[in-house]
Amino acid sequence: MVDYADKFKSLAETLGEKNVNTAPKITAQYAVDEVVPHAVVFPKNTDQVAEVVKFANQEGLAIVARGSGTKMAMGNPPQKLDMVVCTSRMNHMLDVDTSNLTMTVEAGVRFRDIQARLATQEDRCYLPLEDLEAEGDEVVCSDRSHSGCFIPIDPPYADRATIGGIIATNSTGPRRLLYNLPRDCIIGIRVVAPNGDILGSGGKTVKNVSGYDISKLMVGSMGTLGILCEMTIRMLPLPEKMETLLCSFASFADASAFTEAIFETRLLPAAVEIMNADAFGHLSMGDLPDFGSQGYVAAVALEAFEPAVGRMRTEIRDMAKQGGAGVDAVLEEHDHRSFWLAMSNLSATLDQKFSGLIKAKLNYPLSLGKNIIETGVSIFSQANLDYIVQTHAGNGICFTGLLIDQKDTDATDKAVEAMGQLLGRCREVDGNVVIQGAPAAVKGKLKMWGEIDSDFVMMKRLKDQIDPTGIMSPGRFVEGL
Amino acid sequence: MDKPELITRLKEIVGPENVLSSEMDLMLYSYDASLDKAKPDVVVLPDSTEEVSKIMTLAYKEKIPILGRGSGTNLTGGTVPLKGGIVVHFSRMNRILEIDYANRTATVQPGIITLDLQTKVLKNGFVYQPDPASQKVSTIGGNVAENSGGPHCLKYGVTSNHVLGLEVVLNDGTVINTGGKARDHAGYDIAALIVGSEGTIGLVTQAILKLERAPEAVKTMLAVFNAVEDGANTVSAIIAEGIIPATLEMMDNTVMRAVEETIKVGYPLDAACVLIIELDGMPEGMDENAEKIMEICRQNNVREVKMAKDEAERTVLWAGRKGAFGSVGQVRPSYLCCDGTVPRTKLPEVLSQVIELGKKYNLPIGNVFHAGDGNLHPLIMFDERDEDERQRVLKISTEILKACADAGGTISGEHGVGMEKLKETAFIFNEADLEFERQIKRAFDPDDIINPGKMIPAASKAD
Repeated sequence: MVDYADKFKSLAETLGEKNVNTAPKITAQYAVDEVVPHAVVFPKNTDQVAEVVKFANQEGLAIVARGSGTKMAMGNPPQKLDMVVCTSRMNHMLDVDTSNLTMTVEAGVRFRDIQARLATQEDRCYLPLEDLEAEGDEVVCSDRSHSGCFIPIDPPYADRATIGGIIATNSTGPRRLLYNLPRDCIIGIRVVAPNGDILGSGGKTVKNVSGYDISKLMVGSMGTLGILCEMTIRMLPLPEKMETLLCSFASFADASAFTEAIFETRLLPAAVEIMNADAFGHLSMGDLPDFGSQGYVAAVALEAFEPAVGRMRTEIRDMAKQGGAGVDAVLEEHDHRSFWLAMSNLSATLDQKFSGLIKAKLNYPLSLGKNIIETGVSIFSQANLDYIVQTHAGNGICFTGLLIDQKDTDATDKAVEAMGQLLGRCREVDGNVVIQGAPAAVKGKLKMWGEIDSDFVMMKRLKDQIDPTGIMSPGRFVEGL
Repeated sequence: MDKPELITRLKEIVGPENVLSSEMDLMLYSYDASLDKAKPDVVVLPDSTEEVSKIMTLAYKEKIPILGRGSGTNLTGGTVPLKGGIVVHFSRMNRILEIDYANRTATVQPGIITLDLQTKVLKNGFVYQPDPASQKVSTIGGNVAENSGGPHCLKYGVTSNHVLGLEVVLNDGTVINTGGKARDHAGYDIAALIVGSEGTIGLVTQAILKLERAPEAVKTMLAVFNAVEDGANTVSAIIAEGIIPATLEMMDNTVMRAVEETIKVGYPLDAACVLIIELDGMPEGMDENAEKIMEICRQNNVREVKMAKDEAERTVLWAGRKGAFGSVGQVRPSYLCCDGTVPRTKLPEVLSQVIELGKKYNLPIGNVFHAGDGNLHPLIMFDERDEDERQRVLKISTEILKACADAGGTISGEHGVGMEKLKETAFIFNEADLEFERQIKRAFDPDDIINPGKMIPAASKAD
């Protein structure tokens, strides 16, 4: 038997004994899809990450990077896993330049701490700080810049995810409608390449075309081209007014007609979501209106200057009424923030409730949304599966979760088949289905990344050139990239 | 393969009338809007992706340098065929293939003129946001290659934020599609890598672009200052106040004078600089924001603020800005436009360094630039025929870029590295950074035939 403590000894000397852990009861907690690493390491900064990667090169070890661990269920099980590299000690905000509207942070900084740091003097923040502080598990960053800004990213697991994990997985949410994607607000990075070199790209300027756009290349690369260590992000001033309009519809078709009416105007809502009643029912937030157990709920986020929000509220409510909406409700400020945090945590809530949960993200040209969702719902219903759907109506993206108990193998089999059918339908329109999480044992039966396009040849060439020995997260990404 | 045979083979692919090889033709394709020059061996004008693929395959087999070209407005030598070979001019591939308003996309060939597309979609109330000053002549293919910016990029982002998908011919002639009308494709963001790659990865033969609804309201202001520093401070103060205008452009006295000699916009010739500030979006709240901006201007010693009353007045204000580069030709026969970018709070400091450098080297420098982005465009004016002046220009340019890099900025905001700034990449990249770029280049072009000698300096032979 290999003595792993001995094997990792030289690394432990560099990082400190307690930051290189080979004890089986610890490494078991960091298993990726039930594959247990031989060591878990905790570098404290970018230079130490470079040491870790150089060590991995010398020893021929496969590495997986990890932040808070909220997205470890994505991707195929690793082909090989020797070392999990945790960014939890890399939790410093290196530069908060509010007059320039940029900040530079280490990968292990939690998203919520970034938002808290940028809160106003009165603690007005993009996230509901009161809710987060009530949890009491770990203190939210109390060092405030009092700038009244936020970073315009709206990921799932907003209360736990680290910025590194969000960027590495290109994690997005409903408010991408107004604010676009992580790739649009990351303007600089420092990354440790597979050979252990520390690379820099971009910086504090919002425009930069000096060399290839390595920052954007790294966004969503799932840790297969290097380990993201530091990133510079654009921030925006907090919207003057924030509120949410909720309304219920009898059918997806009605809800969809309503959202299409919004997009016929030149109004600028921050998010326009449609979810089924089950999705709404699973939101972990008290005091939500009762929309019953049937039909669909539309949620429209308004984040703008006060007069603009006022006009949008009036006009969009009228559209809802004309579109046959039932109950409607307006959530202001704190309730608005709590609601979108609950939306962000829907995935986490389902993770806890359903041991056999299969989650997927569908993409398709946005004009085909209604057709795709109705097809999906009909596939799920025919298979007698419980499901949630949540669509970003203006982006052509839908999240779906099949609510399964792990012991129910019959439902699991049906779910696998249903996902296959849905993938077929999405491919017909140049879309795709990417599985966001599934029990490790089921992954082999699912196409975790859907199907590839003709540009895969470029991805493969790139990976082979940059990580020729395949030490970065081997086997987990698209077709084993 | 000798040159006559190459020409014969290319004529077989695109037809004899679409291959240019006379001395005069080659001379015409030997330069762009930079100071560099080099002649190609042959120019070819394909009409389809299939033809481009065949041309590329030929170049690949024979190891002939190959370079894509649009209108040649590049400012850093990106379209100069440094090592000769084949120039692929996309002027015939200039079609709009589809405008899909339901999906908010336009699918176009690379040779389409940027403004032609914009004019067409605007009739239906849509916009394609990136608006380089050269949009009247520049092509989408060129914009994609250079990741072009423009005044409205302050609020809306640069070209890469608006490209959803690309069709690309790779080094061996393979045609691939990346991205598309559906968002969030799985895998690496290949489109983001190609946009801004200065034509060094492959030839783009089609682009799917993002369209957005035109803003409901626009408000354009001209703020006049007696000191450049006041203007620069105003820029930072507006952003710090929480207002992101659609544009925040600055023009100094030297440029205003040049503009007035050609276009006659009515700029105040005794002022030190002007800011063109534009707000767009929903009209609600816009008056309040305009008032806040005017108050910030007043706090920074503005002389006067004019508001464009209608579209005609707005067009006039912009005509001067868009025509500025052309106008400086009135002052001296040539100019070099630097493209250094700094965090916007560093603008006052770096601008004063630029002015000092002009004095030190005794050459006029005009400033017309995207102040909100911190993207400087000092125009150093000179006479190209005067070798001494030419050498001084290159020295100023290098020093300006150094000043930008030292201020935490970069050597190119939107014009690219090309040939002109190869040396200056050392100001912002170390050897590991450059080697990583070379790895990317090797992945797609191991023979170094696609726009060779651009963007990435060759590895030093020493080690």
